[in-house]
Amino acid sequence: MTIVFGFLAGMMLISALGVVLSRNVVHSALFMSGSFFAVAGFFVMLSAPALAAFQLLIYVGAVTVVILFGIMFTQQPQVRSFSTIVNKQVWAGLAVALGVGGFLSYILATEDWGATEAGQGTRDVAAFGEYLLGVGPGSEIFAMLFQLVAILLFVAVIAAIVISRRKDTDVESASDVREVGE
Amino acid sequence: MEFLNFLNQEPFRFLLAFGVVLFLTLNLAAILVMGERKVAGYIQLRYGPNRVGPRGLLQPLADIIKLFTKENISPGKADLWIFLGAPIAMFIPVAAVWLVIPFAPGAVVADINVAILFFVAVTSIGALGVIMAGYGSRSNFSLLGALRGAAQMISYEVPLILSLLGVVMLTGSLSLVDVVNAQGGGFWNWYVVLQFPMFIVFYISALAETKRVPFDLPEGESEIVGGYMIEYSGMTWGLIQAAEFAGMGLMSGISVTLFLGGWQPPLEFLDLGQFNWVWFGIKTALIMFTFQWIRWSLPRLRMDQLMDLGWKVMVPLTLVWLVITAAAMLVF
Repeated sequence: MTIVFGFLAGMMLISALGVVLSRNVVHSALFMSGSFFAVAGFFVMLSAPALAAFQLLIYVGAVTVVILFGIMFTQQPQVRSFSTIVNKQVWAGLAVALGVGGFLSYILATEDWGATEAGQGTRDVAAFGEYLLGVGPGSEIFAMLFQLVAILLFVAVIAAIVISRRKDTDVESASDVREVGE
Repeated sequence: MEFLNFLNQEPFRFLLAFGVVLFLTLNLAAILVMGERKVAGYIQLRYGPNRVGPRGLLQPLADIIKLFTKENISPGKADLWIFLGAPIAMFIPVAAVWLVIPFAPGAVVADINVAILFFVAVTSIGALGVIMAGYGSRSNFSLLGALRGAAQMISYEVPLILSLLGVVMLTGSLSLVDVVNAQGGGFWNWYVVLQFPMFIVFYISALAETKRVPFDLPEGESEIVGGYMIEYSGMTWGLIQAAEFAGMGLMSGISVTLFLGGWQPPLEFLDLGQFNWVWFGIKTALIMFTFQWIRWSLPRLRMDQLMDLGWKVMVPLTLVWLVITAAAMLVF
């Protein structure tokens, strides 16, 4: 278990550093998928294979691919110099990283985790789904959040269609004009 | 045979089974290449490869020897790490999914309770390999092929996933072992009967996901001369080919497992016990043959036709059938 954890943590740190320090934006995106893989590995170690599968499906299979897709459509991949990577925001970035890290460490140290250990949880998909949606005993706030996010995505999809359709009508009217001219 | 019992214990069992599955995947790819050429030959009224060995049956061996001894050439401006990593990124997901397919009663490498989710998640990584190949080659044709491939794979993932949901609802489980067990007792219990539209959608999406004719736009020999695999040669090209053909075998295996009863015999008295993998093999081979049959019968779609079919026909169809399935489950 410790060896696997060390491997995954190392993979994650190296990938994360690669994302930030890589001079090529496509390399950064690919390093990011490596980091997502490591997170999925952690989920497997924590006995949540369903969450790991979702991590792979959404982050590696969709997010990274769409990012790469966008990079290739919009710009020639170019090499950045190190001076643009390590710019003046380095201290602000360090402060944010240390703040988040300190906050997480504080929670990790002060919370009472009981007898919880890696690999000891339930692998039941049904229980996982209930925890995720917050149904059953406890509040149903997560189910509410799910609905809200679904509506948000729906609006975003319709907005995307509307934005891309506007060009279509322009093209159509242009071709109409040409037909009239002929 | 007592001394072999240690093979049934955990790390050894998994490693042995993993090796066997990897061996199966690679050999499947090699044999499917020959099958493809033979089927093409007979459909076009010629013999196909018939020089190496009896009736040309040793052709895969000759092909592999040729590929291994060929020089690996990479373009001078290529992004070498990405260029060489791409075939591996394409092959590993395909090989990994074979781990969760039950071949016979009790013969599954990893019986995980989210096997269907695992299949969906791991196949979605394949698009990453395609983009890596297209970008890493630094060639315009490669990039075009990769963009087409990624667009196609992302689009057809949606109907692919939606078409699995009917089976998941009927079984009430994400485990492939449970899915196969629920289809026992004769061919009328297979999910292809209750979920026929979903089977068709899954089959078409599988064709698109494996980039086979009529969905071979990413390859498009006549327009972009091979797409993302133009710049590859020797064993890197061989690995891409292996990934494609093994992916075709994998999609056949998954569709057999989900819709055609997996290893379940068509009639109960034909049960072969531990040798039920014969049924799995026969059904998978039949589906693979239909893949090849389609390849040598249909022309290639245009890009807009491809997107129309995916988004305007198959996604609504699966959604409607999901609602019908849910309503039927509520009533009966």
